Amino acid sequence: MLSQRQLALVLIAPGLFLVAALFLYPLVFSLISAFTRPDGSFTLEWFAKAYELYSGDIVFTIVIVLASCVLTAVAAIVIAGTLTLGENPWIVGTLKALYRWPLFIPFIVAAQCMRTFLAKNGLMNNTFVSLGLMEPLSAISFLDWRGIIATFVWKQTPFVALLLAGALASIDRATLEAGRNLGASRARVMLELALPQVMPTLLVALVLSFVTMLSVLSVPMMVAGSQPTMLTVDMAFRINAYGDYATANALGVITYLISAGAAIIYLKRGMNQEATS
Amino acid sequence: MQAGLQDNPRSGAAISVRGLHVAYGGTRVLHGVDLDFTPGSFTALLGSSGCGKTTLLRSLSGFVPVQSGSILVGGRDVASLPPEKRGMAMVFQSYALWPHMTVLQNIGYGLKLRGASSAEIATKVAAMLEFLGLPGYESRKVTALSGGQRQRVALGRALAIDPGILLLDEPLSNLDAKIRMTMRHEIRAIQQRLGLTAVHVTHDREEAMTMADRLVIMQAGRIAQVGTPEEVYDRPATAFVANFMGAENVLPVRVERSGQGASLHAGGASASLAASPSAAFPAGEAVAYFRDDVARLDAVDAPASGDLVVPGLIAARAYPGGVYRYRVEAAGREITVDDATRHELGTKVGLRIPVQRLHIFPATEAGIAA
Repeated sequence: MLSQRQLALVLIAPGLFLVAALFLYPLVFSLISAFTRPDGSFTLEWFAKAYELYSGDIVFTIVIVLASCVLTAVAAIVIAGTLTLGENPWIVGTLKALYRWPLFIPFIVAAQCMRTFLAKNGLMNNTFVSLGLMEPLSAISFLDWRGIIATFVWKQTPFVALLLAGALASIDRATLEAGRNLGASRARVMLELALPQVMPTLLVALVLSFVTMLSVLSVPMMVAGSQPTMLTVDMAFRINAYGDYATANALGVITYLISAGAAIIYLKRGMNQEATS
Repeated sequence: MQAGLQDNPRSGAAISVRGLHVAYGGTRVLHGVDLDFTPGSFTALLGSSGCGKTTLLRSLSGFVPVQSGSILVGGRDVASLPPEKRGMAMVFQSYALWPHMTVLQNIGYGLKLRGASSAEIATKVAAMLEFLGLPGYESRKVTALSGGQRQRVALGRALAIDPGILLLDEPLSNLDAKIRMTMRHEIRAIQQRLGLTAVHVTHDREEAMTMADRLVIMQAGRIAQVGTPEEVYDRPATAFVANFMGAENVLPVRVERSGQGASLHAGGASASLAASPSAAFPAGEAVAYFRDDVARLDAVDAPASGDLVVPGLIAARAYPGGVYRYRVEAAGREITVDDATRHELGTKVGLRIPVQRLHIFPATEAGIAA
C-alpha cells in the first residue's frame, strides 16, 4: 500500500515531469551552454561576445521596455480611474466595453496592425492628411522604436487596467467620497487617495507586463528595422543565421537577469511595506 | 480642550431643500422632499431601511444626482454642484480613513487641499487632536487605532476644514455599545460648541432622540413627520410614526360620538375620550397604538376610572429584568405588556390602558403600518 505522501507524489508526477522536461531541462541546458565551450570547459567568452556585439541592444531593450511600462501605467491609470470615478455613464459604459479588446489579440497580429497603422503611408498618416492636419510630404514612418513602444502599450494597457480596475473596485468607496467631500478633484482623489491603496496591484501588473514585453519577438521584428533592436531579435538572429546557440544563450541569461531585476525591485518594495505596516 | 477651537464658535449654514426628487435608475427614491435646516441645529433623519434617509443625506453632499428640486445653502442652490464644491463635511459609517496615511495626513488633507502650509497644518491638526482627546497621535497609522479613535479622527478630518455643515452618515453604527454612548455625547457637545448645522442619518431611535433637537421621520421616500423628539414620541402624526417610535401594540377600536363628547370601544370595554388628545377624532373604525410600558394588568372586573380596561387572557410570560413581560390576548389581538406583578399563564386579566396614552388613527391608514 502507498502512503498518503507517496500517493501525492504519484499524483503530481505527470505535471512535475512535464515541467522538468519542457522547462527546467531547457533552462538548465541553456544556462550551462552559456557558460561552457564546446569542449565543456568554463568560459565567459559568449558573454563578452554578446556584450561586444549587442551592448547597444541591451540598453535599447531596457529603455524600450521601461518606457512602455511607464506609458502603460499612465494609460491604465487613466482608464481604470475613469471606470472607477467617471460620472458620465455613456463614457464609462463605452470604455468598459472597448478597453479589453486588445487582450484577445496576439502580439503578432497587433504588430501587423501597427505596421499598417504607423507606416509612412499608413492609416494614421493618411487620416491626418485627409483631415488636412498634415501635408503628404511631411508624413514620416513611426515604424521604429516608437512603433514598438506604441504596440507594447496598446497591447499591455488592457491587462494592467483590468487588474487595476478590479483592485479599485474592491477598496472602500467611502474613502474616495471622503476625499471629494473635503474638496479634492477626481484626479486628485485618484492619484492621492485611490492609487496608493492599490499600488501593490499596479506593481504586480507592471512587473508581469515588463517580463512579457521583454520576451516578445514578433513586435520588434515586424514593427522596427534591424538596428538597434531588441534582444529577442538578436537571439533569433544568432541561432537562425549562425547556429550560434552559445551567444544566444548568453543573451538569454542577460534577459533573465533584467527580468529578475524587475522582480527583485517588486519583492523588496513588498518587504519594506510589510516592515513598516 | 483647545482654546482656538473653543473660543471661536463658527456659525452653521442654513439649508433649505425644496421639491427634491431623486431616482436610482428608474426607481424613485425621494418623492419631492421639502425640508429646512436652521443654522446650528442638529437634525436626525430617522427611518427604516430603504426609506430614503441615506439618499437624502447623499444628495445633500452631492454623491447622488438630483432629478429635480433645489438644495439652497445660504441662499445659493448647490444641487448641480459636484461634492467638492459644496462646503459640507461628511463623517462616514466606515470611517473612510485613508489607510496609507498617518493621522496627521488624514486630518490635514482638507487643509492641504486649501493650500495651507505644512506648519499651519501641523498646528491645526495638533489643536484638533487635543480637542478630540487624542493628543500626540499625529504620526500614528490609522490602521493601528481602535474603532472609537478612528471615528474621532474621521470627525477631526471633517471638522478641520471649518465646515458650516456637518453630515453624519450612521457614524456610530460600527462602534461597540459603550463607545457609542460616549461618542453620542461627544458629537453633540462638539456640534453645539462649534455651532454647526448637523444632519445625522441613523436607524437607531434612541440615538436620534438623545442627539438631535429635531427628528425627521422618513417613510418610503417621503417625510412622515418633523418635530422635536418629544413631539414625535408623544404625538406621532401617522400610524407609521407611532409604530416606528415604539408604539408597537395595535388595538382595533371604534369611536362613537354623542353630543359634545366621544367614546372609545374595544373588546367589550369602553372609555370616554374627553380627556384625550384624540377627542376630536371622527366616529368610526380606528386603530389605537400604544407602548408596552403604557398598559398595566389589573383585575378583569376592576373599575375603569377613566381608563380603557379591556378583558384579556395571559398567553405568555417572560422576565427580562425588573418587570415581567406578558403577551396578553385581548380584543382579538396579541398585546405585549410590562407589569411588575407576577401572574400565572391562562389568568383572565383586565388590560388597563390610559386613554390619553393611546395614539388613534383611522383603520384605513393603519393598514400602512401593519
